[in-house]
Amino acid sequence: SETDFRPSRIVVIAKHVEAFIREFFDQNPLSQVGLLTIKDGVAQCLTDLGGSPESHIKALMNKLECSGDSSLQNALDLVDGYLNQIPSYGHREVLILYAALSTCDPGDIMETIQKCKKSKIRCSVIGLAAEMFICKHLCQETGGTYSVALDESHFKELILEHAPPPPAIAEFATANLIKMGFPQRAAEGSISICSCHKEAKVGAGYTCPRCKARVCELPTECRICGLTLVSSPHLARSYHHLFPIAPFDEVPPFSLNDPNHKLQRNCFGCQQSLLNPGNKPGLLVVCPKCKGYFCLDCDIYIHESLHNCPGC
Amino acid sequence: MASAPSKLYADDVSLVVVLVDTNPFFWSASSLSFSQFLSHVLAFLNAILTLNQLNQVVVIATGYNSCNYIFDSSSDLNQSFENGRMPVMCSSLLQKLEEFLIKDEQLSKEVPEGRIKSSLLSGSLSMALCYIQRVFRSGALHPHPRILCLQGSPDGPEQYVAIMNAIFSAQRSMVPIDSCYMGAQNSAFLQQASYITGGVHHKPQHLDGLFQYLMTIFATDLHSRSFLHLPKPVGVDFRASKFYYLLNFGGSFILGNFCFILDIAQLPCFIYKQ
Repeated sequence: SETDFRPSRIVVIAKHVEAFIREFFDQNPLSQVGLLTIKDGVAQCLTDLGGSPESHIKALMNKLECSGDSSLQNALDLVDGYLNQIPSYGHREVLILYAALSTCDPGDIMETIQKCKKSKIRCSVIGLAAEMFICKHLCQETGGTYSVALDESHFKELILEHAPPPPAIAEFATANLIKMGFPQRAAEGSISICSCHKEAKVGAGYTCPRCKARVCELPTECRICGLTLVSSPHLARSYHHLFPIAPFDEVPPFSLNDPNHKLQRNCFGCQQSLLNPGNKPGLLVVCPKCKGYFCLDCDIYIHESLHNCPGC
Repeated sequence: MASAPSKLYADDVSLVVVLVDTNPFFWSASSLSFSQFLSHVLAFLNAILTLNQLNQVVVIATGYNSCNYIFDSSSDLNQSFENGRMPVMCSSLLQKLEEFLIKDEQLSKEVPEGRIKSSLLSGSLSMALCYIQRVFRSGALHPHPRILCLQGSPDGPEQYVAIMNAIFSAQRSMVPIDSCYMGAQNSAFLQQASYITGGVHHKPQHLDGLFQYLMTIFATDLHSRSFLHLPKPVGVDFRASKFYYLLNFGGSFILGNFCFILDIAQLPCFIYKQ
């Protein structure tokens, strides 16, 4: 079977980066993403750092062209320039999708790698061709991950692994106070001049609580006073990373025949029968807090998507 | 927000999971009595089942301490009679409801005082979503699921995280959450739920006409909603114009060792300690 990426690597990359961006903003609603391309030995900015997925996806939809050599050092220099502007409480990360087998650099790339390490930029690489020493070295130095995709589905898996946030390291932790505003949604018929588009708009916007300027969407930074504006659902999306649900315990089969255990005949979550045909109990799990029995499908759904136990 | 697109075999076949608030603290103080409310709801459930032969209805009771399934129109016990399907069998539903209320009350004996008298909406939303996931797993042909919350109790701030998790999961699975709030104030949680998932939120003005509100607003299936004029959200309350400070103990913005100091609705400041 074909092991290369069809119809072309750039098309496959664009498709999966779009899926990654959607998943990334779903898991990290307050983060920002910027896209860079490396072409003809030069790195260029495709989209600026921004918090809304639409602008990035629009840029990806355009036909992306590839030509010339690739330069890892130029890319890292450009990234360093951008990410240095981020305040220190922000996590800085680079994900490089590398299909070339060499890098054509103007200077000493080891120096650039040390620079990135000093700026605390975590670099990860997903290779599409073969494993390269320089990529491996870069990832090891900066604390990122290096993997090489075997085929398209493996590539998709690898890129989506980068969507959930990485755990923070305690030594680098410093306490910081960050001011955020929670704007009210403007009433339906109100007319005001929008600060991002500089034109009058009717209704459907948000008002900055500090300077009362109108913004179109959240999360964003108020252009007038610089306050970070979010809505509580944006923060709530990340709660399950901080307050994870306890895993359910497997019910050992011998305890099911124990007359002291009152076996529930149906799964607590979906009411599906827990008994296999022939009245023999199937595989189940139990919540350690509320002692409710769940079928395996509910267990998967609860831990991967819902993050709540129905019984607690 | 756009409502969920169609993804099933017939346009207007629905599965409605109704979450009925049975909180005794609310009903004892409400102008509409619980039995009158039930008569409106039972008539509404029957009406849904007669709108389309393939429609399904599941009822989950949201109690003060617990939640449980009360009725499932697709289960074998409720299919009957030679002359076609008989809609909602009131006696079985009422019997199960009574059993549930007795059990719920028994759990109340151990609850500490001073808690806001809210019902366990997060639990019933989670159960409804588990049931809907099971329906999705049942194959390519399945009805459009949606959730209808009939709620009167006030929002319980301790359930905020759980309710938001359920809302996001519903949004991901494209399940709209409709809500009909019968209490005195507004329910910010239900407004947000309906806004985020693309459902309809309404607070009826005249509770003795509840059946009419249910029939005209909440009985419509998802496909027909694209050409019907339903109540739109008017200024969803995403919370206050105050400032909130976010303490960050980690290099990353919202992860790892993190400490929130938030004030959301009546939620007191809570500090997460590692």
